[in-house]
This record gives sequence, structure tokens and C-alpha cells, in this order.
Amino acid sequence: MSTTLRRANGELWLDLSGEKTFNGIKRSLAVQINTLDDYLLGALVSLDVGSKQLTNKQVREIEDILLDHGLHLREIVSQPPQQDAAYPDKPVLEGMPEYCETLLLCRNLRSGQKICSDGNVVILGDINPGAEVVAGGNILVMGSLRGIAHAGAGGDETAVVAAYRLNPTQIRIANHITRPPDGEVVTDRDPEVARIRDGKVIIDNLKI
Amino acid sequence: MKGKVIVITSGKGGVGKTTTTANLGTALAMMGQKVVLVDTDIGLRNLDVVMGLENRIVFDIVDVVNGHCKLKQALIRDKRFEGLSLLPAAQTKDKTSVTPHQMKNLTNELRKQYDFILVDCPAGIEQGFKNAIAGADDAIVVATPEVSSVRDADRIIGLLEAAGLTRARLIINRMRQSMVKRGDMMDIDDIIDILSIDLLGVVPEDELIIVSTNKGEPAVLENNSRAGGAYRRIARRIMGEDVALLNPDEVNKFMDRFKKIIKLAR
Repeated sequence: MSTTLRRANGELWLDLSGEKTFNGIKRSLAVQINTLDDYLLGALVSLDVGSKQLTNKQVREIEDILLDHGLHLREIVSQPPQQDAAYPDKPVLEGMPEYCETLLLCRNLRSGQKICSDGNVVILGDINPGAEVVAGGNILVMGSLRGIAHAGAGGDETAVVAAYRLNPTQIRIANHITRPPDGEVVTDRDPEVARIRDGKVIIDNLKI
Repeated sequence: MKGKVIVITSGKGGVGKTTTTANLGTALAMMGQKVVLVDTDIGLRNLDVVMGLENRIVFDIVDVVNGHCKLKQALIRDKRFEGLSLLPAAQTKDKTSVTPHQMKNLTNELRKQYDFILVDCPAGIEQGFKNAIAGADDAIVVATPEVSSVRDADRIIGLLEAAGLTRARLIINRMRQSMVKRGDMMDIDDIIDILSIDLLGVVPEDELIIVSTNKGEPAVLENNSRAGGAYRRIARRIMGEDVALLNPDEVNKFMDRFKKIIKLAR
């Protein structure tokens, strides 16, 4: 990891943002300090620790290290956590593609109504027969899906359609179109998810 | 005094909008309300026939909105109830003869004189539908327990919501409990599950309706008509009374259980 040390106006600026762990930071800090000349004794030091958030105890440890070498801590600079740090790396559903844009709809979609979005669509309600949802990304229905849902409309074959009750007229994913088998008796089932596997639309129980 | 404008609609034809309008209007008038029935099915008018008032028509709704006559001249007083009137549709024109704006003005005029303005909506979702809902405060959606009717009702509810009529209520018409029991007909719960609106009432299938329609006498006037009884209960519910959704078959169910208990006791 490259660690840079800059001097400006009698202050030291240490960029430790490349270090991933707190131990790594401590180690680099010690290495850097040992290279310093004596005349910097008593200088103020600013540390850039990147996206890491240090605890108070860790800050005190760093202060102690600096004091051992006759340096004072001025400040610890850290950037706000990046998005992938705040959200779990794992998607909600295994293999579900990520889209930034999500349309949240808190009503029922009735016959003749159609919703289109480039990203995901989440519906807190039902999609009735005759209604249609077209999404570039995934479709999640927190109710009954009885109409038509088209996920991955831009051609994304990894997009999924998940519903609390999956009784669709049709499910389309990318350029695949499926419908429930003729004569299928609709029973109350668990939440399910539809996705493409081996070129076919497969319906699985939804496990999160 | 400000009257309430209620549009009675369904999307699909032949599910009983006109019969419902005639019976609810008559039932409300029986309860002493001042009611006017407005037929907006221009070109295919029926409400006057069902009410038995066809031979009294001189002017119609198109004459009124175009200023060919006064509103008062076109209103036909019912032959049975003082407080019940009918504004008939025109038969020789089509639905484009009236605009939603004109309908709004018309219903606002009627509001001043009546407690309830029941608007009979034509089938379909075109101009006639838009006219009918233009001045409405409330909507009643009529559906029969058939998939096609429920589908159309769903579409209509969506259009009503888009027009700001978010509190539409449902009447399920021509219900046959015997078929539901056999699993051959949609259940009330199935319908409510899809449409997710408040249920105003359930009207059972009744042959007497055909007889009364042909005679021009609304079924609510017949004491032994099951459908008439259901419409009377719905009218009371519209008036704000808390009437249980007791359809006759639920009473039968209760009686069956009662009989069983008696049998057990023996």
C-alpha cells in the first residue's frame, strides 16, 4: 500500500487511505514516523484514513503512537462511507442484478393501468389482471401479481420477478415469455420468485 | 340543502346498471327522499322503459343542455312517488351531444332541488362514461360474479380513481349462492379480493327482476322479490344506516345450522 507523507506550513499530512484495517494503519504510521527527521518534533499531524470509521479507542491509540515520537494529532480525516460499505455486498436475492433506480408504488394496479421504469419496480399492492408492469430491472410485488410483469425489459436475463402471491397472467423476463400452465388451480402459496435458468423461466420459493 | 350525485357504472354492459339505478332510486324515494334519476345512455336509453315512463317523454337531457327547454320541462315525475323524477336520455342523438362540462353544470343545478341524483352510466369507457362521472361525488360499481365483469369493474375503478372518485363502492349483482356452493361461480370474497373496494350490497339472481323490468315496475315495489329486498337494504345503507349484509342464502345457512342443532337435540 502506498502511503504518502506531505508537509505544509509546518504540518504533516499522512494519507493512509489505502490501508484496509486498523492494524495496517498503525503499521504504516509507525513506518512513516520512523523516516521523519528530528526537527519536526512537536509538529501537528493530520491523518487521512479513507472510508474507515475509527472508534474513540482507536483514535486514542493513534494519538499515543504520535506522542511517543513527539508529534501531536491535529485531526483524523475520513470520507463518508461509500455506498457499498453501507449496504451489504450480497444482493437481497442471490444473483439479482443491481439497479440504482427503483420505483416504489404504494397502490394497486388495476386493469388497463401500466407502469414503466428503467430500473426496479416495487409495488406495495396488487397487480390485477389486465394491468402491466414493465421494468428494466427487477420487479417486486408485495401483494398478488395477477397481471403481466416484464422484468429486464432492456434485455437483462438475470432480472427477477418476485411476488408475495405469484398468480400472473404472464411473466416476461428479457425476451422470454411464459404463462402458467393451462388448468393450473390457483391455491394460496408462499412468496415466489421467477428467474431465468438455463434459458427457461423457473419459479422458486422466495428465500431471503 | 345540497344533494348527492352518485354515478352507477360497471364498464361491462348487461350487468344491471339500469335496473340498479331504477330500484335504488325508487327505494330511496320510498324512504321519503327527493330523488332524480339521470339517464346518460344517449342513443340507447332504457331507464325510462324500466321505470315505465317512456310514454311521457317530451324533452330529454340533450334538449336541456343545449337550452332547447328548461330543466323543469324535461324532468318526468314518477307515477308512484311524488319525490321521484327522471331526466331521460335522447334516443336520436349520440353520446357526443353532451360534454362533461355541461353534465357538471346540469348535476349542480339538480343538486339544489334533490337529495339524491342517481346517474345511470352507459357501458364502455368512452365519452358517455366521461360525461356520466363528470359531476359525480360518489360512485357505485355494479359487477356480476363473472371474470369478464370483474375485469371491467377493475378497469372502471381505476378510471374512477384517476378522476378523483376514490371511494367507489361495489354492488355484486345476480349472485347465485347455489352455484357458488358448487364452486361454479366466483365467491364474494374472490371478487372483493381482486377489486379491493367496499362492498355496498349483494343482489341475488331473481327472475322477478325480468318480470318487473318488462312491466316497468321496479322490483323494490314487490314485497316477495328477493332482489327487491336486497335493493331496499342497499338504499338504507346509502342513507347511512348500518344494515347487515344479510343475503337470503346466509339466512338459509343460519337456518340449516339451526335445523342441525334441533336434529342433534332430538
